[in-house]
Amino acid sequence: MDNVILDVRNFNVTYVNKYKKVYAVKDANFSINRGDSLGIVGESGSGKSTMAMALLRLLPEKSTEISGSAYFLGKDLVKLSEEELKKLRWKELSVVFQKSMNSLSPVHRIRTQVEDIYRVHNPKATREEIAERFIHLLKLVNLSDRVYNLYPHELSGGMLQRVSIAISLINNPKLLIMDEATTALDVVTQGQILDEVVKMEKEMDMTRIMITHDMSVVATSCNKVAVMYAGEIMELGYVKDVLKKPMHPYTKGLMASFPSLKGKKEKLQSIGGFLPDLSKKYEGCIFAPRCSSAMDICQKKPPVIEMENGRTVRCHLYGGER
Amino acid sequence: MKRYLFKRLLTGLLTIVIAFVINFLIINLAPGDPIKTLMGKESDDPVLRAALEEKYGLNKPLHIQFFSYLKTAMRGDLGISIIYNRPVADMIAEKLPATILLVLTSGVLSLIIGTAMGIVAARKEGTFIDVLFSGFSYILNSMPSFWLGLMLIIIFSTVLNILPTYGMTDARASYTGMAYVLDVIKHMILPVGTLVLIEIPMYYRIAKSSVLQVTNEDYILTLRATGMSEKKIFNKYIFRNAILPTVTIFGISLAYLITGVSLIETVFAWPGTGRLVLTAINQRDYPTLIGIYLIMSVSIAVVMIVVDIVYAILDPRIRY
Amino acid sequence: MIRTIVNDKQLLFGILGLIFLLLVAVLAPVIAPEDPYYYGPDVLNKLGENGHLLGTNKMGQDIFSMIIHGTRTSLKVAVISAFISGILGMLIGGVAGYFGGQVDRAISEFINIFMMLPTFFLILLIIALFGNSIYNVMVVIGITTWPSNAKLMRAQALSLRERTFVKAATAMGESRLQILFKYIIPNGVFPVIANTTVGMSNAILTEAGLSFLGLGDPNIISWGQMIYDGKAYLTSAWWIATFAGIAIVITVTIFYLLGDGLNHVMNPKRSKGKGV
Repeated sequence: MDNVILDVRNFNVTYVNKYKKVYAVKDANFSINRGDSLGIVGESGSGKSTMAMALLRLLPEKSTEISGSAYFLGKDLVKLSEEELKKLRWKELSVVFQKSMNSLSPVHRIRTQVEDIYRVHNPKATREEIAERFIHLLKLVNLSDRVYNLYPHELSGGMLQRVSIAISLINNPKLLIMDEATTALDVVTQGQILDEVVKMEKEMDMTRIMITHDMSVVATSCNKVAVMYAGEIMELGYVKDVLKKPMHPYTKGLMASFPSLKGKKEKLQSIGGFLPDLSKKYEGCIFAPRCSSAMDICQKKPPVIEMENGRTVRCHLYGGER
Repeated sequence: MKRYLFKRLLTGLLTIVIAFVINFLIINLAPGDPIKTLMGKESDDPVLRAALEEKYGLNKPLHIQFFSYLKTAMRGDLGISIIYNRPVADMIAEKLPATILLVLTSGVLSLIIGTAMGIVAARKEGTFIDVLFSGFSYILNSMPSFWLGLMLIIIFSTVLNILPTYGMTDARASYTGMAYVLDVIKHMILPVGTLVLIEIPMYYRIAKSSVLQVTNEDYILTLRATGMSEKKIFNKYIFRNAILPTVTIFGISLAYLITGVSLIETVFAWPGTGRLVLTAINQRDYPTLIGIYLIMSVSIAVVMIVVDIVYAILDPRIRY
Repeated sequence: MIRTIVNDKQLLFGILGLIFLLLVAVLAPVIAPEDPYYYGPDVLNKLGENGHLLGTNKMGQDIFSMIIHGTRTSLKVAVISAFISGILGMLIGGVAGYFGGQVDRAISEFINIFMMLPTFFLILLIIALFGNSIYNVMVVIGITTWPSNAKLMRAQALSLRERTFVKAATAMGESRLQILFKYIIPNGVFPVIANTTVGMSNAILTEAGLSFLGLGDPNIISWGQMIYDGKAYLTSAWWIATFAGIAIVITVTIFYLLGDGLNHVMNPKRSKGKGV
């Protein structure tokens, strides 16, 4: 168990407002070992970002309910007090968000922001010390140290995203969550950054969760993958297993809607239908209305079926009561 | 930065020129001949007429007329008031300090109070205090300033009898030194209070919406994820980003005050340019009215340029 | 449609208020107990004295009846001046945004400059020189307040001209003026309508301010004029100025509510929820 960085059990996130409840994440179970990189994929609205934000406890507390447990280095993120959480934040657990253009305050120099962030956990750090540390990180993400004294608007989107990544690494965290961190970039920059991230990871002994809607990002930069649909994890396993032989009909559909990386020309297909209304509770399989292999039994909730190599599939096709 | 400055100054200059053009057009298009307009309706002195005709070159083509008009005005010659038979520029210069005192005091006070209220409302969004402030600002926004001034007179003077309502000093006493200052302050409370109340909604709304918007920005979320204290996030990052639109509003508000103050000076008999406006209207003293309009346009253009420069200093994104 | 209105409280109260104002304006002769122009024998009556609900003024006119009839003036000023300002703004802004290039640059610069000039004082100056009939007041407010509408329309036109249906129309050989009137203005009109409603509030306040400086139309009953008259009697007959002012506050609030409500409904960018 020492190797487990994050262990998430029966994790639920519900948005609550005056008129309705939205069940954004339902019964999520997964764990990440040290050195793993887990890709969480799904279309927009599948609950993948919500799950990340809930794990980081960054959702507004008034309008969200979180249940279940998420043990991070032996501490339950769900129940931790704000004070204890602060000790973990950025030191052990950091995050990079999607919109690189908005991830830094526009009216402060990068230097100022980095100094303030570093001093949250090292209040006595000197400017020189911080500069030295950060310029080292800038090199890791292929940026010149000149960047340190600039304002965010003086950088391009790709450069800003690299700065955000460097900032997220400043305390050498155990776990890094990247929420669509490369989505807004062009393909070439995205590829470069992903390469750099994978390289750094080895150097810094880091574990990563990568949230994306792009299967190719998962294929190139992750070793595990969780496929989410409508707030549920449909399939979970090693990338080499899942991408080679997808089992859940939704994963199959998702794979068919992306061009093959190996260059084989196949017809791209989209999945018919729309995401279900998440403010309702469903009896049966949530994917059944869009599933081409749906059966009568799909009116009942499918069990999570465990297979070899830690793989799980939430589908009636692979056993359980028939 | 230099180029930006240059561009701003150019626009400011252009604004002043346009103000002159508009003035010139109004004088020329107004019913009756321009000389009559410049002399006032009741006066028809042939000597004065000849002098004005000579001065403005009225027998020459329109564009030449315009340039000679521009030239005299640029020299600070805004014409002669028919009623008082004095240079308009002198009369305005005499009344200006009292008006500036009123405008700046209420401008700064409303900035501080309105912005503070907006920040509080945004931090406590949805609570009683937010609803109270928002309702208050909505109603104030709908009030004619002069009417609010009259109502304050009824409350604080007629009913409570605690504040003076007329003028800038007590005419019966001749205070000096500190006592004089206190007397002026006492006379300022009602007019300044009225202007501040009228200006609060502008600052309140912009501060509230801008704090709310910045709070939802991604960089604030990132800072929360770093474990930085809420206090530091607010004081250094939210505040600094959210205050930017307020700078622009300060310029607009001062511009509004420069003209709006005339109404309030009328209500409280404040011895500033507003009084001059009122008498000029009543006496059909057009040179004075036109002169005041020019002075107002120029001061607003200057205020706007200053505000834009301050903004450029505060926001690093504007440094092209 | 109905549900949107009921869900947006500001729009709901704005619409109900507008209906109320229109009813008062139309039914003014029925609601008002007296002819507001009638100089009666009851001079400076207090509230309720001799059946005068809100008292009388120095000429013996019934204040309540004056306020009811003043609604007509205020609405007329609001609607006509806002209409002129809206039309001018749409045309000028539409031309600038859709034609682009030098035309746009010149118009935009002019708009920026014009917005920096003291509008209220310009209106005051024109009224003082050209005469203070209520029609002059309406027209002058209209032709001096269009720049904010033009700015909105220009922004709309800028984005609309990149849309496929406009490009298709261009390809079909429709003339630029045709496209401007058939596609650009009708599709970009909504923000201007919402802004025009706010402009109505400002028009009412401007008219009142002019009246208060003695530039109102003396032949017509208006709330600003009543406050102007009441100023001299502030200590002896406070009701003359007070109730006229309250009428202004209520009317202006209604138009602000309407404007804010329309803005909400027409720019539905309010949802704060981020990607789930």
